[in-house]
Amino acid sequence: MSLRIWEGKSAGKSSAPNFSRRSFLRTGTAVAGGIAALAAALNPLRELKVEEEFSIDKFLQKHYKEMNAEEMEHALERIRREVEHRYKVRPDVKDFRAKNGVEFVYALNLSRCIGCRKCVHACVDENNQSRAPEIQYIRVIEMPRGTLDLEKGNHHYDRPTVPDANHFYMPVQCHQCANPPCVKVCPVEATWQDEDGITVIDYDWCIGCRYCEAACPYWARRFNFTEPKIPEDQLNPTMGYLSNRPRPKGVVEKCHFCLHRTREGKLPACLEACPTGARKFGNVLDPESEVSQILKTKRVFVLKEEVGTLPRFFYYFDERYPLSLDPEAQAVAVSMGYASAESTLAQGEGCGGSCGCGKGSCA
Amino acid sequence: MSSPSRNAAIVGWLIGPAFMVIAAWLALASPSAEIPIGEVRVVPREEFPRNAFRSPLTDAKNAKVGVMNHSCSECHKLFTESPVEKRVLVQHKDIVINHGMNTRCMNCHFGTDRDKLVPHDGTLVGFEETPRLCSQCHGTVYRDWQKGMHGKTLGSWDPQNEAHRRLTCNECHDPHSPAYKPMAPLPGPETLRMGEQPTEREGHGHKHSPLSTWSRPKGEHDEKKEGDH
Repeated sequence: MSLRIWEGKSAGKSSAPNFSRRSFLRTGTAVAGGIAALAAALNPLRELKVEEEFSIDKFLQKHYKEMNAEEMEHALERIRREVEHRYKVRPDVKDFRAKNGVEFVYALNLSRCIGCRKCVHACVDENNQSRAPEIQYIRVIEMPRGTLDLEKGNHHYDRPTVPDANHFYMPVQCHQCANPPCVKVCPVEATWQDEDGITVIDYDWCIGCRYCEAACPYWARRFNFTEPKIPEDQLNPTMGYLSNRPRPKGVVEKCHFCLHRTREGKLPACLEACPTGARKFGNVLDPESEVSQILKTKRVFVLKEEVGTLPRFFYYFDERYPLSLDPEAQAVAVSMGYASAESTLAQGEGCGGSCGCGKGSCA
Repeated sequence: MSSPSRNAAIVGWLIGPAFMVIAAWLALASPSAEIPIGEVRVVPREEFPRNAFRSPLTDAKNAKVGVMNHSCSECHKLFTESPVEKRVLVQHKDIVINHGMNTRCMNCHFGTDRDKLVPHDGTLVGFEETPRLCSQCHGTVYRDWQKGMHGKTLGSWDPQNEAHRRLTCNECHDPHSPAYKPMAPLPGPETLRMGEQPTEREGHGHKHSPLSTWSRPKGEHDEKKEGDH
């Protein structure tokens, strides 16, 4: 029952090929049609534009950890050249190394976050993310009050104003896990955890398999499906090899705690842009640092503790929600007569009864 | 015996034209390889200033009267009495008092020297030193602030670094109306909306398809700016 196209051979009566005119025509049409179909299928390749020029230097470049100082300088010079060629800006690219005695930790006060997304865009601005399609490292999730079920969260909220009294806001970015699943799955060791706890990516070594993106339980990694587009005047010229230098198409990127800033002692861009001071960053090995104080004294939790990733990103609460964000406390304030019903979304901060005025909550 | 081989021959004849048809379809009607990419969206840097939330009056000598800088006491040499009753502000019309029960000017300002603030213990405090004044009511917040658990820090994450600076109360809160006003959120992720999503914007009647990307209706942003601090 086999479909015999090559009749001469399949007949097997003679060792010499026995072409009939008919079988030749039939096979010829099939082969010609096949080639035509293949050519047509490959047709879209003509539209493929390779914007990045091929570079022998990049092709022969070693893995980040294997490069010596001279080779690193060579690589940095190549990056400077490429960025200048592409964006007409001479960048200041450096290789920022982790410092001894420093382990970075982030803490975020959920009682204070109002969901304004200023952190999101300060991050995009600082880290040269693609503006089209836009890549954002920070995802602010609007959650209904009274639950931590992420299934009920919404990161597409677009209210005229925030915060909404019935929701709280939970920004999620790379948690820089101490037990990072993304690092384990990388087949080429293009991503690893540095000494100060930051999980970094060598964009020149990444093959774009996206295993890490699938492995991350916090949806922190982003993939460059297309050539990233950044307007020339928006480029941040202060760049780190492992952080915010422009990425090529086809590699994975993510939050790196602004390591080109934080390894120099500065604060991450998202923290600087936060209008409410909900974001806290520091060295957990220093007992006097703000994050150490928070871990010691505040009620702290990590997201998806049960998956065992040991994040370095902690969420915490204040003793009580600010009155301005707490409808129940506002109702009490109105009933006690020291707040009017109209002004309840603009109330002050309470002392929790420590001042002895007898109200239990300050006016 | 002859029937299968004839069938095979017919199928064999069909393979060529079938490939031709596929080729024609791919060449003429093949779906475009273009990835739908949105337009370049740039959120201006003024939308996310990377510094203190507000610039407070830290020196009473620089109170602005019209276009001139005067100290508070220059006018209040004439008006020294502290009103016992709560009164309507005639001069300081830009000041909105919304500080809960704290509605009297003289709760914080010092009656006979208007360049100073006064906590309950009677010591005088300059405008640049507000945490000590605020702490007398807001004890738990003050405790948190001292350890860097409340409020914003700028400069450096390292407390030993001289650039490390903890903002004072009035660099974020308006002392006369301390609670944060609601503000307009900046645009969210430009990804497809999946799962259960609210389809109607409150108060706008603007429907979102589950597959549409983020968009802010025109003109809405300007309205919201007014409500901002």
